[in-house]
Amino acid sequence: MPVSELQPHPPSLGARLYSIWYRHMRVYTRNLISNGLPPFMEPVIFLLGIGLGLGRYIAAMDGLSYLVFLATALPVTSAMFTASYECTFATFVRLEFQKAYDGMVAAPVTVADLFVGELLWAGSKGFFFSGCVVLVMALFGALPLPAGLLAMPIGFLAGTTFGAISLLVTSYVRNINHFNFYFTGFLSPMFFFSGTFFPLDSLPRGLRPLAEILPLTHAVRLTRSLALSRFSPVLIADLAFLVIVTLLAGYLAIRRLRARIVV
Amino acid sequence: MADAVIIFDNVHKSYRNVKAVDGISFEVAPSTCFGLLGRNGAGKSTIMRLIYRKAERDRTPPGKVSVFGFDPERDELEIKCRSGVVPQEDNLDEELDVSQNLHVFAKLYGMPARRADARIAELLDFMELKEKARANIRELSGGMKRRLVIVRALLNEPRLLILDEPTTGLDPQVRHTIWDKLRQLKRNGLTILLTTHYMEEAFQLCDDVLIIESGKAVLRGNPKLLVAQHIEPYVLEMTDVNVAPAALASLAPGTARVEQSDESVRAYGKDYEALRAIADKLPPGNHHLRPSTLEDVFLKATGRTLDARQ
Repeated sequence: MPVSELQPHPPSLGARLYSIWYRHMRVYTRNLISNGLPPFMEPVIFLLGIGLGLGRYIAAMDGLSYLVFLATALPVTSAMFTASYECTFATFVRLEFQKAYDGMVAAPVTVADLFVGELLWAGSKGFFFSGCVVLVMALFGALPLPAGLLAMPIGFLAGTTFGAISLLVTSYVRNINHFNFYFTGFLSPMFFFSGTFFPLDSLPRGLRPLAEILPLTHAVRLTRSLALSRFSPVLIADLAFLVIVTLLAGYLAIRRLRARIVV
Repeated sequence: MADAVIIFDNVHKSYRNVKAVDGISFEVAPSTCFGLLGRNGAGKSTIMRLIYRKAERDRTPPGKVSVFGFDPERDELEIKCRSGVVPQEDNLDEELDVSQNLHVFAKLYGMPARRADARIAELLDFMELKEKARANIRELSGGMKRRLVIVRALLNEPRLLILDEPTTGLDPQVRHTIWDKLRQLKRNGLTILLTTHYMEEAFQLCDDVLIIESGKAVLRGNPKLLVAQHIEPYVLEMTDVNVAPAALASLAPGTARVEQSDESVRAYGKDYEALRAIADKLPPGNHHLRPSTLEDVFLKATGRTLDARQ
């Protein structure tokens, strides 16, 4: 095997990000059934348990049937949770236990490529997971099509947003059990207080501005408005908020994770 | 050396209060094998990491690292696309099988699919892993994992192969197989940088070695020449410390340099017959007269006692 005479050149940025994304996709699709079924099961369980059960006692919420109210929020919460798991536990295992990143950075990719690629993957999972929820909700007649499909790009964006926040959390975590604080202390409350299960107007007046700081609030408002074709200028602010949080958290996360990989 | 593949010029690297690399300079010529030797914690792995920017050197004092003419801190990708790395730990992707591990890396190197398929088949064959293509990483033995990491490092037809303790913990058969493969690669023009704790490995493979102690270079040269020039040619090893002093008393002064540890005595000398005469007087079974090796040079250069970093 003679040494190549070809002049080697590093892959382009797009090719590098795609190869990272491809790695995650291969891992995910390796167990297609165990990974691919839950995103459909969860919304079904949710609909049966909360939407149909609890919803019977709730006449209407914010001018919508409770089923529709829920259905227009759940795609994006699903994206939030999948991206958060991906960029906390899974990232930590790759970082600390498997040392997979140490192996990957020997190839022509930078640490920044590694995590931007990972965020694109978190976004893709958000896209897929929110798509699964949209499908289930549409089957139950809770979400209009095709407008409901707009939840999917919002799912992608929310996937990168929560992926970036989660990476930033991961950059501080030294013990895998500490993620419990993030999940029960931040994500779970956000799940309930972001206009997911009840409108923000029902919150005490003093708490309302607080809800506006939560990224999920903006993602839910975007999803609900787009799926119901209720356009308003506020949505631009929601979009901007998510993009800014993603960029800021992503930038800080990469800086901090880089210091853990490049020593 | 204008065409050196790797140039280190007065490179420093500190971790908090520890100087891992303390003013190291060396050059590696193309198509040669260069060995970094030293105790655990001497700075070998750090030097390797500085080459592909897995670590960054100190800003002050200013030092220079050049690999294929590129500074890793400016053009890491240019260096990485010409190099293959076998790190100390087998950091294979346990979430993927053997073939998928390699295909993901081929993608990382930007290899077209058809070339990747051919190259993967060729290398699995070369490293005798063909039957394991669909195996899970956890099913592989230590030797197979090591060979797979080497396959991974060779995917992109590198011009430089960086090996951090390639055969540590492997059985002699696997070790000799890997040595043969590395010789073959070098003959075909590959430049190799390796660290090892096996002096035999360095002696077998390296054209040049650098012995490092606490981040500083202590000895450099061709291993055969180092053995010829830096140590007495013969050594009588005695593992019975009670009879050794009496036996050595009959040696003429200046005939041997004696090194003693708790449970062994070694007499180094160039007069084989004189050492032979001592050996003949000892009861058989716990002494051994042999030519000196690179390990003797290494121990002489770095000392026999343990230091705090080990």
